Amino acid sequence: MKPRLTAYAGVQLRDFLVGRAPFLFLATAITVWALLRANGVTLATFDAAAGIGGREQARRAFADALGAYAVLGAVFAAQGLVARDRWRGFDRVLFSRPFDPRRYYVQAFVMAGVGVVGLAVLAAGVFSVAAYPVSVAGVAAYVGLAWFTLGAFAFALTTVTTYHVPVVVGALAGALLLDRLPRVLSVPDTLRVVVEAAQYLLPPTQVIVALREPFARGSLVQPHLLVWPLAFGALWLTLAVLVLSRRPFRS
Amino acid sequence: MIELSHVTKTYAPRLGPSARAVDDVSIRVGAGEIAGISGPSGAGKSTLLSMVLGFERPTSGSVRIDGTEPRRFAQREGIAFLPQRLGIPGRWRVSDALTRLAMLSGVPAAVTRGRVEAVIEELALGEHRRTRVRRLARDTRQRLGLAQAILADRRVVVLDEPLEGLEPLTLDRLHALLIRLRAADRAILIASRDTAELQRIADRVTLIDRGRVRRNGLARPPTPVDVEAVYHLVVHRGAEHVLAVFPSAISVGRGTYAVRVSGLGPLNLGLRELLERGALLASVSPAYWPAEAPGFALNELPS
Repeated sequence: MKPRLTAYAGVQLRDFLVGRAPFLFLATAITVWALLRANGVTLATFDAAAGIGGREQARRAFADALGAYAVLGAVFAAQGLVARDRWRGFDRVLFSRPFDPRRYYVQAFVMAGVGVVGLAVLAAGVFSVAAYPVSVAGVAAYVGLAWFTLGAFAFALTTVTTYHVPVVVGALAGALLLDRLPRVLSVPDTLRVVVEAAQYLLPPTQVIVALREPFARGSLVQPHLLVWPLAFGALWLTLAVLVLSRRPFRS
Repeated sequence: MIELSHVTKTYAPRLGPSARAVDDVSIRVGAGEIAGISGPSGAGKSTLLSMVLGFERPTSGSVRIDGTEPRRFAQREGIAFLPQRLGIPGRWRVSDALTRLAMLSGVPAAVTRGRVEAVIEELALGEHRRTRVRRLARDTRQRLGLAQAILADRRVVVLDEPLEGLEPLTLDRLHALLIRLRAADRAILIASRDTAELQRIADRVTLIDRGRVRRNGLARPPTPVDVEAVYHLVVHRGAEHVLAVFPSAISVGRGTYAVRVSGLGPLNLGLRELLERGALLASVSPAYWPAEAPGFALNELPS
């Protein structure tokens, strides 16, 4: 009897959509609301009568929402994937069955990515029709990039610790703070080198956030800007698979 | 089929002293056999089962299933396993959980529904089909655990504390299930704290304590006719007559008495007298151990 793991992908997608997606939407809504308030954006901004200034604000508001959703989506896609099964003891039930834990969890991560991208495409489509035209393909590519880069980092951490969520959130926020630090404080050159080095150790949140506007517009993005995020994601995904090979379950 | 040979498992935390959970244990479970591991909490039973499933590796010694390393065997054929802690996500409904696990067990799509219905029927889970797992009572949860374990036909069955929290009716179902599962090409290994019940279920029981094998024995040896032995009487009514008929009887709780007699003759005479006095007996069974009854196939091992 061969386990039907491919068919199980649909179940894993459903798990994401009914389990984590509502919380992702809630977290995104709160973040976007805070961003809109900070930028003084109101509902009237999205009205056709708001003019060019309004359209520009709507475009920025969408890009901010996209950036927040992409980063949060990456975190939610991987949240608890491996750690929760271990914590519950469900890994024992799963892996007494004849399949490879690596395949099971990587597939779950991929299906969560499909869910995150799919929902973004849906939302972008609705926004395009209702408020302001955005590139749906660009949105899909952007959210996919964030899922691969930041999600792989979160996925790797869920294979090693139950407390991965605070670590992931701390690392993502830390990267953003380090990026803003030289802009708000006068940092000596020696410290700037340290900050730049530290940024390479942390997830490239600032790069992902900075790319939100060109992707939302559907404009071409310089390929070299994608190298570091893609390499970072590939590295952490490889690490996750390696950890799952050595320690597929709680022992 | 399942072979544990001089298995030792030591946990060595970074801080604090190391602890030996299993110490030089050797157990063999042949095809067609039901073997039991008994012992108190913390004796090392679950650690042993964990090694049989390949979830943990022994510090020394070897574990083999069909001559193969256990993890390799589990990934190739699968093992029917009831863990002590089921861990099925609480929001899943019973039938949904079984359908998902049937997919992962390799039950073909065309027969999944039928197979799920069959295990629901066998473990009497019908009325809980739509209940979320977190709302299940202990007995029902245990039945769900058994149901998920038997979704697919496996050659190796490992049950960790299957008797825990079971109601009497479910216990009967477990007996019936094990009778059905017993097959010439299947090895069944059960760990339980309940030595007496395990003796009823298993062909052979190994008693372990603090990680070491204390005793190894046949669970159902031939009952000696003229040899002093201890029996367990479960008295439903008229318990006050037990001491009058069997002066050496010791109450071991819940209407059960341990009675030492010099053979089957005196036992039957005593039982007749007890019945004549109006007692109503629920069961009479030999207490192989820990009652220290001589004359049956127990091999005391040096501790």
